[in-house]
Amino acid sequence: MKKLRLLPLVALSCLVAAQAHAGWQDKLNNLMKPESKEGKILSGATQVLSSSQEMTYQTECTVGESLALDSMQRFGKPVQNEALQKYVNLVGNAVARNSRRSTIPYRFVVLESPVRNAFAAPGGIVFISRGLLDVLDNEAELAGVLAHEVGHVAEKHALKSIRRAQFLQGAATITAANMKGSKGQQFESMMSDLQSTLFDKGLDQGMEFEADQAALETTYRTGYDPSALVSVLRKLKKQEATAAQKGSWFSTHPPLDERIERLSARLDKYPAAGSATLPVRFAKYVKPGKGGKAVK
Amino acid sequence: MRKRALGGALLLLALCAGQALCAEKRWVVSEGTTLKNDQSVSAPNLADLPVGSELTLVEGEGRWLKVRTADGKEGWVYAGRVSDTQPVAEVAGGDGLLGDSMQKSQINTAKADSARSVRGLSPETAAYAKQHGTPEGLKKELDKILARKVSDKEVKAFLKEGKIGEYAQ
Repeated sequence: MKKLRLLPLVALSCLVAAQAHAGWQDKLNNLMKPESKEGKILSGATQVLSSSQEMTYQTECTVGESLALDSMQRFGKPVQNEALQKYVNLVGNAVARNSRRSTIPYRFVVLESPVRNAFAAPGGIVFISRGLLDVLDNEAELAGVLAHEVGHVAEKHALKSIRRAQFLQGAATITAANMKGSKGQQFESMMSDLQSTLFDKGLDQGMEFEADQAALETTYRTGYDPSALVSVLRKLKKQEATAAQKGSWFSTHPPLDERIERLSARLDKYPAAGSATLPVRFAKYVKPGKGGKAVK
Repeated sequence: MRKRALGGALLLLALCAGQALCAEKRWVVSEGTTLKNDQSVSAPNLADLPVGSELTLVEGEGRWLKVRTADGKEGWVYAGRVSDTQPVAEVAGGDGLLGDSMQKSQINTAKADSARSVRGLSPETAAYAKQHGTPEGLKKELDKILARKVSDKEVKAFLKEGKIGEYAQ
């Protein structure tokens, strides 16, 4: 009796599978027709592959360095304190070496700007403003912010945001020669889009959450307290109503409440016991006027 | 009774096979990673583990993991230096899609970087600066940023001083 009941079910499953198979066969056939929906999707996917994945590291650096020049013009010069810059580079490199993309050289720069923000240029140049640095209280918090930015570089988020740029269609390598003429105009347009994304609008929210998760993982594996990034976001949340919004962390990152909630839910995976925070060493370099010993 | 015993044996066999297939993999993500013969940074080195090396997890969930290398060496590695996902590969050449091996890419990346530090801004970045009328001072600042390098030795000393990660007591 049981066998008899099963029989129609098996027959029905076979029928559904056959129909699905027929549907897939049609779709596969359509892939070869450029005017079909499937053909257009394939063509788009191929363009994405040829634009973002082919970009060499050297080309990525050209985009990043050009953007670094733009960012200094917009936000301000690096803080003239070599000991501070070296310290921030040591913290940043300590986390970067445990990131998913540890083989490229990273540079970390403190910019003389009161606007509270941090952002990463493709290729590995990471900026943090003096304004954001002043909000932090220990080395683990600095590590958390820098690890978030390293996460963007590792996942090539900025490059993904411009992967459909006209310049990149058929020109994955930037040379001084193709920065002139019509290609040059396309390059300018691509750089303008990148500036707008990084300095004003912010990256896609999914990318921000991905960088947050990468930061927890990277800081934890380096040996810093992973909850420090959540502490930073809580401090920023308190200041959100009164802080300058334009070009700041608040205008270029997803809502703080949502990020705090998402990160807090993941903290159980990363026990903070035994992990470092180092408020004294941080104060020595970053807050010499507030109890830390001045280092020049 | 014999059928039950046979069923049990088959189940056990399937479980073992499943475990073997699902043996947990880890990948080295940090440069300068070494396989240690004990759970301590001061323990003797058994082997150097280049970035991208695939390891099989033998035991451990804490700060030190016991792992097996592809050539069968067993030892301990600091958990922070490995990941359960493969590190990102660099695109070394101009034409292929992730064509070259990760090792070769790393060499190319290092070459690109050292060449740049010798000559200052790349011709492409210099061209961009010229087109934008970037002030000379900012070009010098970028040059300073690019020349500011941190060595692996300095990072290790910094972590040791702060008693961070594998140097924690």
